[in-house]
Amino acid sequence: MEEKLANMASEPAPFVMRLRGAWRGLVKDLRRDYLLYLMLLPTLVWFIVFLYMPMGGLQLAFKQYSAWKGIDGSPWVGFAHFVSLFQSDQFLRAIGNTLIISGYSILLAFPVPILLALMINEVQSQGYRKAVQTIVYLPHFISVVIVAGIVVAFLSPTTGVINNVLEIFGFDRVYFLTRPEWFRSIFIGSGIWKEAGFDSIVFLAAIMSINPALYESAQVDGASRWQMMTRITLPCIVPTIAVLLVIRLGRVLEVGFEYIILLYQPSTFQTADVISTYIYRQGLQGARYDLATAAGVFNAVVALVLVLIANRLSRRITRTGVF
Amino acid sequence: MKKMIVPLLLSALLTVPVTVLAKESTWISDKPLTLKIHLHARDKYVWDENLPMSKELFRLTNLQLIGTANKTATNSQEQFNLMMATGNLPDIVAGDSLKDNFIRYGMEGAFQPLNKLIDQHAPNLKAFFKSHPEVQRAITAPDGNIYFIPYVPDGKVSRGWWIRKDWLDKLGLKEPQNIHELYTVLKAFREKDPNGNGKKDEIPFFDKEPERLYNLVNFWGCRSTGSDAAMDFFVDANGKVRHPFAEPCFKEGIRNLAKWYAEGLIDPEIYTRKNRAREQLFGANQGGMTFDWFASTAGFNDSISKTVRGFKLIPLAPPADINGKRWLENSRAEMRPDGWAMTVTNKNPVETIKLFDFFFSRTGRNLQNFGVEGYSYDMKNGKAVFKDAVLKSSKPVNNQLWEMGALLPIGYWMDYEYERQWTNPAALQGIEMYAKGNWFVPLFYGVNMKKEERAVYDQFWPDIQTYMAEMAQNWVLGTKNVDKTWDEYQARLKSSGFHAVLNAMQAAYDRQYGKR
Repeated sequence: MEEKLANMASEPAPFVMRLRGAWRGLVKDLRRDYLLYLMLLPTLVWFIVFLYMPMGGLQLAFKQYSAWKGIDGSPWVGFAHFVSLFQSDQFLRAIGNTLIISGYSILLAFPVPILLALMINEVQSQGYRKAVQTIVYLPHFISVVIVAGIVVAFLSPTTGVINNVLEIFGFDRVYFLTRPEWFRSIFIGSGIWKEAGFDSIVFLAAIMSINPALYESAQVDGASRWQMMTRITLPCIVPTIAVLLVIRLGRVLEVGFEYIILLYQPSTFQTADVISTYIYRQGLQGARYDLATAAGVFNAVVALVLVLIANRLSRRITRTGVF
Repeated sequence: MKKMIVPLLLSALLTVPVTVLAKESTWISDKPLTLKIHLHARDKYVWDENLPMSKELFRLTNLQLIGTANKTATNSQEQFNLMMATGNLPDIVAGDSLKDNFIRYGMEGAFQPLNKLIDQHAPNLKAFFKSHPEVQRAITAPDGNIYFIPYVPDGKVSRGWWIRKDWLDKLGLKEPQNIHELYTVLKAFREKDPNGNGKKDEIPFFDKEPERLYNLVNFWGCRSTGSDAAMDFFVDANGKVRHPFAEPCFKEGIRNLAKWYAEGLIDPEIYTRKNRAREQLFGANQGGMTFDWFASTAGFNDSISKTVRGFKLIPLAPPADINGKRWLENSRAEMRPDGWAMTVTNKNPVETIKLFDFFFSRTGRNLQNFGVEGYSYDMKNGKAVFKDAVLKSSKPVNNQLWEMGALLPIGYWMDYEYERQWTNPAALQGIEMYAKGNWFVPLFYGVNMKKEERAVYDQFWPDIQTYMAEMAQNWVLGTKNVDKTWDEYQARLKSSGFHAVLNAMQAAYDRQYGKR
């Protein structure tokens, strides 16, 4: 009885006090670091305006959208859009293709910038290093339309470089871009060429931030450069790798449609058609925002699950995670 | 001083008509009336009240249209949706590819039905619909109303067959008159080295639009499309809606295409070469025959003959098909899904319908087709004729007109004369031959579906269309054998709702065009 009374009397107090404490702490922080918080403000506003406010529009996934009636005025249709998506063989095929293309690019394309950063880091000559960096960064700034044009020209069955080389070695000429079995290699390969250099910047920055004292003491102990790379550099950038991998997994269902649309053919849909291109073609039949939103909601749910799993794994294995 | 006089004179000339002259006979309103218009077209054009054409329209009708569309936006469809979604409607909405939107939102109450207004206030439109009942049917909504006035192209011809006359001459061949001769000619192009470089690098048939390849099935008596777009539905003689790619005949046609492709008569890279195919293949003296628009294709005679000696490209009458009949699926549509509509919030429906009517009158058509009188054209013997400065400018005539604000996709009636005056003679020769031959089969302008019909169509058709394109390409490339996979293809069409789509379209067709 006494205990209970004591509880009733004492319980609100710590809570209010904690709240007050937190508030005071915040005010203190704000006063002290107001410049930092000021710099944070635009990002917060951006998040609210462009990511949180539009979330209200997600209800479109469950409505028959009419621009004239507006989002609120459009009638509800329940899960009809999801049902019609999952009834389509082609949508299921597109999910499969998206997962395969994403899986391959995580497996093959994700490690390349890391390797590149490690190699660039080992280059001694400053001039050579700068030249290499510039050359590998450049493709990132070329529009995908141009890249697709280059790919088409290189793979041309009559005049393409690749086929000319194949012919010299006695192979048959191949019309690569109409062959479903080649599509993923072409897509991922050219993607690596375009983005690997630019993506290596993050890893290079991580390498730069490693404490030089570690290398100095390793040198004193007589470690070879290979040993320094595998024992110091790599372990030190593992947290960066883990975080980027978690973020990458969250985007597993997002395979950009522009580049695929530029490269694919009806005859390669079998391996090339991904969720975004499927929705794009559906949308062509008359701005079907509701259906596209339903697919977007589906994407987001899958991505959330994947990120949660990846983050948990990352925490367990490397003790770092995004959250 | 001299420098000042010219602009002064010009501005005086431009302002005089408004201030000095009394009421024009074409005035729609006694008091100047201002209407707001949302026009965003082809991802870049907007209505601009400061352009010469808009000012001239104001002078002629006493109606001033003020553009409300975002001038910096680059996606017209998006701008339309945005404008609808804000609920803040202007008086008039215009643009390209808006037919389905006009009809859908018209039935939902965003646009005014025009039937009564046309009947009472629009003599030119009324006369036009009387003489072009198929256009009226094509724009009529499922509820029987007309919600928009379309852009009506003029002239008969769109694409045609083109062949290298210099290659024919070199090989001692005549212009092919039927499918058998065509095969011989293409085979000779492939085998007998007409470009004389000792290499077997000739590409007998190619096209910048890969889907146009399927037009070749016409030579085996099969349809490939029903409209000027590729792979579209068609309507048979009994008024039944069908799809060319599902017809038994198509199997026969595509089997032959596959054979031609395997023999190298069709560009091996046809699916990836695309837009610049003509520049590439004519420029390299490798291309022999194509199917394309008249004016632009004829132009290669001037540009390519500078580098390829003796280059001569001529229009070819469609070779007769396997049944001995000459025919052509592609012709110029009599109606485009572009145009304009009047919103429910428009307070001046009578003046607005009179404005719509104006662009079907002689004066209005001249304004929209030729620009401003005295500025870009003159009247000679009662006919509009472009000024020499316009015709001889280094800029194409149509670009000059777009810059003046003419030719925008509002509801108007094109005048073929506008195009004829600046079409080059080689193209004109082909156009006249095709028009005289009159080998065209009627085009199908599509149906306007009810909500339930549209739902069926939207659910099944995109997947089916993808599947058809996928299979057709595989057959041509030889990765799938048409004889072995045809039954499986038909079964798959059946199971993926193809007949439901046909039934939905048929119901819409019967309602709209009348049961036959």
